[in-house]
This record gives sequence, structure tokens and C-alpha cells, in this order.
Amino acid sequence: MLQLHEVVAAYGPIVALHGISLEVSEGTIVAVLGANGAGKSTTLRAVSGLLRPRSGSIEFEGQRIDRLSAEQIVSLGMSHIPEGRQLFSDMTVLENLRLGAYSRFTGLARSVREYRRRRQDFEAALKQVYEYFPILAERQNQIAGTLSGGEQQMLAIGRGLMGNPRLLLLDEPSMGLAPIVTREIFEIIQAINRTQGVTILLVEQNANLALEIAHYGYVLETGRIAVADTSESLRENEAVQRSYLGY
Amino acid sequence: MNEFWQQVVTGLATGSVYGLLALAIVLIYRSTSVLNFAQGEMAMFTTFAAWSILQWGEYWVMFPLVLVMAAGFGAFIERVIIRPVEGAPVLNIVIVTLGMFAILNNVATWRWGGIPKGFPAPPEIQVTGVKFFGEGALDIGPTVVSYHDLTILVFAVAIMAGLYVFFQYTPLGLAMRATAQNPIASRLMGIRVGRMLTVGWALSAAVGAVAGLLIAPLILLQPPMMMGVLLYAFAAAVLGGLDSPVGAIVGGLIIGVSENLVGTYTPKEWLGPDMKLTVTLLIIVVVLLIRPTGIFGRRAMRRV
Repeated sequence: MLQLHEVVAAYGPIVALHGISLEVSEGTIVAVLGANGAGKSTTLRAVSGLLRPRSGSIEFEGQRIDRLSAEQIVSLGMSHIPEGRQLFSDMTVLENLRLGAYSRFTGLARSVREYRRRRQDFEAALKQVYEYFPILAERQNQIAGTLSGGEQQMLAIGRGLMGNPRLLLLDEPSMGLAPIVTREIFEIIQAINRTQGVTILLVEQNANLALEIAHYGYVLETGRIAVADTSESLRENEAVQRSYLGY
Repeated sequence: MNEFWQQVVTGLATGSVYGLLALAIVLIYRSTSVLNFAQGEMAMFTTFAAWSILQWGEYWVMFPLVLVMAAGFGAFIERVIIRPVEGAPVLNIVIVTLGMFAILNNVATWRWGGIPKGFPAPPEIQVTGVKFFGEGALDIGPTVVSYHDLTILVFAVAIMAGLYVFFQYTPLGLAMRATAQNPIASRLMGIRVGRMLTVGWALSAAVGAVAGLLIAPLILLQPPMMMGVLLYAFAAAVLGGLDSPVGAIVGGLIIGVSENLVGTYTPKEWLGPDMKLTVTLLIIVVVLLIRPTGIFGRRAMRRV
């Protein structure tokens, strides 16, 4: 579904990715692990179009996307839930969710029937999100910035789901959250993958947790892929255990 | 007492014009962090364009035409003049808008001349026997209000309501607010941020154009006509909070009314009409000392 081939990406003169190749197959959860500054977030930014790669290619469902803009890529069926959530914090929960569906309904509806269909699609997506995160339904008129950290992360994921993506890029969903909340969120991420078949590329510092739900994992070290293997093998890999799993 | 209400009502009317121009400034500031010093001159320019159209056309034909032209003008300025300096240091952008100020002023003088021209107020319309706009005054109990003052108030309220509905309920309005708040997240939602900025400038220029059309009958049409108004508008925007459209209008009304009351009720030997600007600005300073972000402002003013 997603293929990166020799992707090099840089912030000005600072090269963050030195030729990364990775693959995400449809229906799987793939984890990208690594220390701070290893290039995990940069990988996601390159995929979603926030950062244009210097060289290399990125293909999504067989289509080259490495020269497309972020706003074009999202409408292809990919949602990026960025590091630090990046909510519209002065807006309500519902407004955030409406914006999540923005890419699906660009331009004016051409007919009443189309307008009705859009409404139905929107309501269906909203219902789905509220099923995963009932707390968001309760809080739908609350200002996003006043939510707790866990609720904000739920809103960020919910907003991403409103775009009806086939591929979800998730950047550090556990950041700043209590272990019990993190666990809850990871269970929902797994449920999204299982019940809806949404493919997930997950960047995470908490390697233990990530490998619990992922099928496959890549370990990044200073902008290069150090190890790539199935989750089971990674968990048994001694070097990975020592560096990332805290054994 | 009549005198008092009279001053309040006229203050509300001129305050609405300050508020509209302040609103135009705020619309641009909150989405691009650009303080557009040329906002008043853009309004002056479109009012001159309106005057030219009036040489062969009806007022109510000219009105929508000018709004559309102003929107196009605003979009053009964003695309051609502002876009290239986007992301440049604040001072550069300030210089660019000051440059536009001077250029528009020059071009208007060159094209239309510096001699003040009369500019008509919106002419009368009868809707089912009720008179809108036009000449004369209306008795509303404690005082009489001129139709033109009423017109200004009605326009200000209508524009405010229209913008509120637009920003709260339409997808485009929502996207524009999103862009103002978090451009990167907006891109991830599929919003074309650049286009939103262009629309913002267009909208702002159109709102400013209305301010110009409404104030011109009161102060005569001439190239420097908006300078005083711009000063009040900036004060109104800062008073209300530079990122708050509601604040812009409220700030404008407060300034309009207090300006009038100070001019009328303080004795000449003490302060009087000559000092009304000073007193008004003093009030603003006091308010800002208490609330540095303005009455309705939420964000701190980082970039000014």
C-alpha cells in the first residue's frame, strides 16, 4: 500500500533521513521505532507531504506522491495525525471533526441529492468516531483546548478518521499521557485496524506498546533503518531489547 | 438629555465605520499576522472607483459592482504583493504595506485629482411603504437619527451578522478560521492555505470598501480621506483585540461614542473638542493596561 524507496529528507542543511526504504502492506500496523531525533516524525512528514523529500520515491497505492502537496495527499485517503496533536484548540470538538472531513467534500455540492449524500456520509463518519470515542460525543460543544490530554489525543485520532482514510499515519499517540490512558488509546487503534481494515503506520517511543499491536516494525537510528523485522522477532532481538525495550 | 442621545447615536454611526475598517484590518491580521497599513487607502481607492462608476451608473448598480471589484483588488494584492514577502521579517511586511499606502495615495491623486468631491449617500428605497436609506431623519423617541446614520448602523450590523454566519456555519468560513489558527494542521485537513489567505484579503477589501462608501458622504471624497479613519480603526482593532472580529466592531463603537461625548461634554478650557482624539486614545491606553490583549482578544500580540 505504501512504499518508500531511498527517501532522503532534510530541514535546510540538516539531513534527517539518509535514504529510507520501507513498506507498509494493506491491512497491517507497522511501527517505526527509534530514539529522539532518529527521523521517525520526519518519515511521516515526508509521506504526508508536509516535507518534500530531497530524493527517492514514495508510492501510495501504486501512485507516486512524493511531489504532491500535503493538501493533495490527504484527499487520496491518507490521514496524518501529527506529533503534539495539532488540534484547532480554540474551536469546539465538533468543529475539529468537521474540519477532519474537509478533504472529502471540497467544492459546492452540485445537487440537492449530492448535498444529502454528503450529509449522510458525514453523519456516518461522525457516528463511527463517536462509537470509538464516546467521550467526544459528550464533549462535542466543548472547546478542544480545554480537553484533557487523553481526550485531545482521541480527538486528534477522531479528526483523522473523519477523512475516511485507508492509511493512518500516527505520530506518538502516547506522548504525555498516563499509562492507563495510553493503553486505552492503543486498544482503540488496534480496533480501528481490525474492524475497519485501516492500515496504520505508527511512530512511537514506547516500543513495548507499539510492538504489542504492530505486525511489523522498523527501527530507525540517525536517519537510517537499523533493523526491520516482524514484531515477534524484534521483541526477541537482543540489540533491540537492550536499546528500546528496556531489558 | 436629547443632546446626549443625539451624540450617542451619531457616535455609534461613525463608530460603525471605524469598526468596519477595523474589521477589515482584523480579518487580515488574524489569518496572516500582517498589519495592513494600506487598509484605509485601499478603501479610499475603491471609493474613487465607485465615484467613477457613478458617473454613468445607478447607486445600487454600483454598490455590488464595487464590492466585487474590491474583492478582486484585495485578492490581487495578496497574490502579487504580499505573497512574495510572506514569511519575511515583520518589518519588511510593514514596509510593504506602508509602500502600498503611499502608492495608492499617489495613484488616486494622479488619476482623480486632489480636490475634494461630494459623494452621495445611498439613495432612498421603498420596501412595502417603509423607507430605507435616503435623506431626512427619523424620530426615535429620545432623539432624531439621520437616515444616513441609520444606514451606516444597518450595514455594520448586517455585515457583522453575515460574517458571523459565514465563519460559523459554512465550510469555507470554517476552513478560513482553521487556517488562521493552525496552518500546518489545516494543510493536513486538505485545506489550501494559500487560497484561504487570498479569500481573506478579498473579504477584507470588500468590508473596507463598504466603510469607504459609507464614510465618504460625511467627509468628502479625497485621497487623504481615510487617514483619520484608519487611525481610529487601528485604535478600535487594538481596543477590541486584534484577533477578534466582534472586538473590532465593539471597539469602533466605543471609540465613536466616546469621541463624540468627550467633544461635547468636556469644557473647552479644560479639554473640549480639540482634545477629543487625545482623550479617546487615553481611554484606550488605560483599557490596554488592564487587558493587554484587548477586550475580546485571546492571543497575545506577538509580532507587532
